Amino acid sequence: MKIESIRETLVDAVSRAEKVSGRNTTLPVLAGILLSTDKNQLILKATNLDLGITIKVPVKVSLEGKVVVPAQTLNQFLNSISKEKSISLESVNQTLKIVTSGSRATFKTLPTEDFPIIPELSDDLAFTMPTRDFIGGLKAVSFAAAQGSMKPELSSVLVSYQGDELVFAATDSFRLAEKRIKVKKIPHFNQLLIPAKNASDVVRLFDGISDDLSVTLGDNQIALRSGNVCLTSRVIDGTFPDYKQIIKQIFLEENISRVVVLKQDLTNALKTAVVFSDNFNQLILKVVPKEKVFQIESKNKDVGENEQSVPAVIEGKEVTMSVNSRYFTDSFQSIGVDSMSLSFSGEGRPILIQGVGDKSFLYIVMPMNR
Amino acid sequence: MRDYKELWHSVLVEIELAISRANFTTWFKDTHIVKEEGGTVVLSVPNAFAKEWLMERYHTMILKALRGVESSVHAIEYVVNKEETRRREERALGDALGMRELPLQEPQINKEDGLNPRYTFETFIIGPFNELAHAAAQAVIKKPGIMYNPLFIYGSTGHGKTHLIQAIGNFVKNTSPGKKVFYMTSEKFGQDCMNALQTQKMSVFKEKYRKYDVLIMDDIQFFSEKQKFQEELFHLFNTLYDNNKQIIFSSDKHPHFIPGLEDRLKSRFAAGMIVDIPPPDQESRIAILMNKSRTQDLNLSPEIIEYLAHSISGNIRDLEGVVNTLAVHAQLKGREITLSDARNFIKNNAKPKKSVAIKDIVKIISDFYSIEEESIYEKTRRKEVIKPRQIIMYILREDFNISYPSIGQKLGGRDHTTVIHSCEKIKGDLKEDQSLSQEINQIRNLLAV
Repeated sequence: MKIESIRETLVDAVSRAEKVSGRNTTLPVLAGILLSTDKNQLILKATNLDLGITIKVPVKVSLEGKVVVPAQTLNQFLNSISKEKSISLESVNQTLKIVTSGSRATFKTLPTEDFPIIPELSDDLAFTMPTRDFIGGLKAVSFAAAQGSMKPELSSVLVSYQGDELVFAATDSFRLAEKRIKVKKIPHFNQLLIPAKNASDVVRLFDGISDDLSVTLGDNQIALRSGNVCLTSRVIDGTFPDYKQIIKQIFLEENISRVVVLKQDLTNALKTAVVFSDNFNQLILKVVPKEKVFQIESKNKDVGENEQSVPAVIEGKEVTMSVNSRYFTDSFQSIGVDSMSLSFSGEGRPILIQGVGDKSFLYIVMPMNR
Repeated sequence: MRDYKELWHSVLVEIELAISRANFTTWFKDTHIVKEEGGTVVLSVPNAFAKEWLMERYHTMILKALRGVESSVHAIEYVVNKEETRRREERALGDALGMRELPLQEPQINKEDGLNPRYTFETFIIGPFNELAHAAAQAVIKKPGIMYNPLFIYGSTGHGKTHLIQAIGNFVKNTSPGKKVFYMTSEKFGQDCMNALQTQKMSVFKEKYRKYDVLIMDDIQFFSEKQKFQEELFHLFNTLYDNNKQIIFSSDKHPHFIPGLEDRLKSRFAAGMIVDIPPPDQESRIAILMNKSRTQDLNLSPEIIEYLAHSISGNIRDLEGVVNTLAVHAQLKGREITLSDARNFIKNNAKPKKSVAIKDIVKIISDFYSIEEESIYEKTRRKEVIKPRQIIMYILREDFNISYPSIGQKLGGRDHTTVIHSCEKIKGDLKEDQSLSQEINQIRNLLAV
């Protein structure tokens, strides 16, 4: 194989592929990127047997061929030679020679015949939408999924189509995040479950791509295509818990204390409060209508105590509740507006968090039981 | 064909020798044979990558190895295993984090007191059939431990015993937070007792149950014949009773009819209040159906409700089931349920009405009184035969609506006036004789099975 390419296009492709390549696998070839040529294109492939990525970039091909190069070293090398404009690659025996105007390197290659086949999906298109919207939806909720749970449906992100919205949801049974994104009509799609781990990889891999994303569903697999990147991921075959009744119930609740605060104020107060929180990350939240403040208390018998007050607009009566600070603050990243509302429906009941004036995202977190 | 596991194992051994260790562990991990049909082996693989790879690279090798062991194999089909292969033991993550869980499915049963918050007096439908039990429960919550201690509620399955006793627990818990309420099934008590015996922590076990102010024990008929549990229950009962703590029991039978229950327990149960929840009558069934259909957002016309109440004689759970199914039907069809829909549904799904085989009834009742079946049909007027015979007549008339003359005819050619007399006699006796009515209830239970 002998090719010539613009350094930047190659760097972009390799750094994306490198994120998918396997680490610490029993099969050494999984730590590599398969480079192969097809007319005037270079095709890069990488997989960890859970995700598979295929990237096509235009290059000048002088001699066709294919080679597997260790992903990490290749990526590090390409990133380090930032001044060069063009770059040429040539496979010689068991090595790959990379030459630029100022540097030259030789990489040991891995056997190409061991490199896995990335499953292709027949074109059974489910839907197309702006890539930014899709990864925005995944990003907004995937943190709420369970990590390495024994229940696969809880460690997944649910993507479902309802009315004219694509609904993203995740829950680990202690909290629940839901994001709704307006889309064009999708005729033949109902829902799918993407492993949360893969969902965050999807977010990273499609970051910065402005083209539309097309989603294809296959047997146990999903393919996401946008720009020159195609990613296949395993999908979960399971039933996502029916969380709608919980939301419905909270909105029906009559005895609600609703607090509206500035997101920045609350974030600052929490930063201080967590300094004093105990091993359980416990925070005591107090709604004090008389003083028009929202109080956050934390204490740790080895460190000390702390109390923060945030000015707030309050409807309803006084409430005290304890929450896990991590579970509480996790949701803030997905709230894109300045002020947020917290609704408390009583002791032991879920807390609802939303951005003020932004109905697209909601977060429900359960209090602690002590 | 031999065992698939064994077959696949011998294939794996062969393949392992032929390829590198890394390749073997990567591609052949978590594979197994699902089935073999007409020479085609269906192979389950963990993911789509493995499927592609085995098909492309190792197909010939696998086929050859398979044929070496089992010559009839000529094809292999690969399927991706949809079930997660690595389901691990579930941990109580919530406890570790100190977090409450979202009520994703059923409302959570409170771990501390075992009560399900769904069961309250507000959702308890009162009708003529259970008003006595309800009144007793109300008396208990006014003065726990003083009025009616213990309260013993019995009735057949699905009549609302658990709902009522849990409602008492929830009410006391919510109105007097200082009081410790505990609900459990007798099975749980038995398990705890067993564990305590095995780990030799009887004193801990004893202490645990003695601290409650209201102890509710469900389905205690399971204690029949279990001497050790009964002994523990007896001591626990005495301690709680002496300290004026309320005790509530439920069972499917009157304590006197729980076989193998010690007399000292029976007499203690009788010391408080024993109340029965009979099957719901027609009006109550209508009320229950109306209530359940309202909570399901299901619109049922009065005719349909009446029809359903008439045709489903069973317990409350049956009524609930019918409403749920009809609600799904309504949703599927996108229109309201009509009377003919309800008719069809009942025709296809409900239990067929009991067909009356008089012989069977005679047999069951004569067995119940341990007399010869034949003697019922004979002209004998022995005292021990007369009563069962009269009861048979009464039940045939009351429960199965058979005419007086045909009852007489079937039971050894008696005059219909004899039958009328017998029925009136039993009816009259029932008003005064408590044990007779219990006997008849028992018989009805036997007949219902």
